[in-house]
Amino acid sequence: MRIEDVELGDELPEEHPDVSLATVRRFVRSAEMDFPRFTDHDAARAEGLPGAVIPGIMSQAQLAAMVHRWAPGCSILTLDTVFRNSMVVDTPVVCRGAVTDVGDDGIIEIDITIISEATGATGVLGTARVRLAD
Amino acid sequence: MILDLHTHSIRSDDGRAKVANYCQWIRKKELPLDGVVLTEHRQFDDESDYRELEDQYGLLILKASEVETDYGHVLVFGVNEDMVHAFDFARIDNPLPMVLAAAKRCGGFAVPCHPGRRNVGLFSHYEERGPVDDVEVVEIYNGGSIPGEDERSRQEAQKYGYRGIGGSDSHIVSRIGLCATEFVDDIATMDDLVAAISAGRCEARTWRT
Amino acid sequence: MANVDIAAIRADWVGRVFQEFDIVVDRERMLEFAISGGETDPRFIDPDDPEFQASTGFPTHVNVARMLPDDFPQIGTGGIDGGKSIEWYKPMRAGDHLHAEVQIADLYEKTGRSGTMVFIVNRMTFTDADGEPVAMVDWRMIRQD
Repeated sequence: MRIEDVELGDELPEEHPDVSLATVRRFVRSAEMDFPRFTDHDAARAEGLPGAVIPGIMSQAQLAAMVHRWAPGCSILTLDTVFRNSMVVDTPVVCRGAVTDVGDDGIIEIDITIISEATGATGVLGTARVRLAD
Repeated sequence: MILDLHTHSIRSDDGRAKVANYCQWIRKKELPLDGVVLTEHRQFDDESDYRELEDQYGLLILKASEVETDYGHVLVFGVNEDMVHAFDFARIDNPLPMVLAAAKRCGGFAVPCHPGRRNVGLFSHYEERGPVDDVEVVEIYNGGSIPGEDERSRQEAQKYGYRGIGGSDSHIVSRIGLCATEFVDDIATMDDLVAAISAGRCEARTWRT
Repeated sequence: MANVDIAAIRADWVGRVFQEFDIVVDRERMLEFAISGGETDPRFIDPDDPEFQASTGFPTHVNVARMLPDDFPQIGTGGIDGGKSIEWYKPMRAGDHLHAEVQIADLYEKTGRSGTMVFIVNRMTFTDADGEPVAMVDWRMIRQD
């Protein structure tokens, strides 16, 4: 993907990342945040959550991965995400992205969101500033 | 004429959209919007000047505010020098009756937004505290609502006889225009907007699927 | 939030560095973070790739000994994650020796679906052995009544 191939309004292919309990457990161990609210549905419910929740930084990582797949070789300069609603582990989510600015300097901006397919609620939204590969 | 009456830019703590990018997006996507109203959280932006963008993109860009009250969040239109001194926009517990009255006294108009939302919506407070006098209009379509919230907004607005407006509540560029408000008359200024909302010469619209 | 003077706390604390520490970037942890986070780009998941480096979100995982200064006022309870932003200046590589500084970058109050919240923005800045900036992470911590 090069800057001349990108237009304002382009949408990234939707992705349905793996949010299974097994993958979340692997992620939280790597992130040193292995807490029951992320890895144990019963323990999470006892905390008042609807079930084990997907860590916000895991959603953020999955959004970055979506951008890297869409534009191989790109560099994400900034990734700014707001964690708005909890999303439950083992419940399908969809990642979306759309190009909202194409700069003369070869840097683009992308809106990124993860939405729970069960509730329709936006779990994470934000923006990425990305330098495309030469 | 269709205006998105509820939008946030990077001037809001959780806004991630530049106003120029909203304008580009509206034109590129050929959205049926004639303009937007910026409603930054807990403040009135009296610094930004968007006249160049208005000219460049042929859009109306007005400024209002989203303030916080003891009955949830409220859009205030027609903010002026008098209004910013009438109550503290930064507070999160302004009494709603006071905000409604102050807005009107200063020549503006206040509209509770996303009223069907838990905690920050008007109707969630009605359950325990009963209705507030002087509410006339509420936001019945909000682009940030989760399923069920707008349905509740519309049902309860009908029950209490409130008129409705719509706004996207966009915080990122690609969500602009999901909901908006269609006006009977042309709107060129904030005074026009306040007059039209006060007179009920507008209708809420949604394009959410 | 009752009995908390947000403006005063803000004036006292915003901008003050309250913690510094050093880390060595761990290759295995980089790999695990990238793979389990869904990366497929060899730059992040193949240690033999000449451009092997930390994936975008990696600095968000760095745990600090103290999230807030020892004498920071008690504000509400809980520690919900309200969001994170990452700004990159240069790639982070396995084995890099990094220095981190932590400060309170902002503090403000608002209401949301879950009630009254105070947002405390904790900023961590990473520099390399030459003192060059590598990355900056802003973490918006939420405290509630």
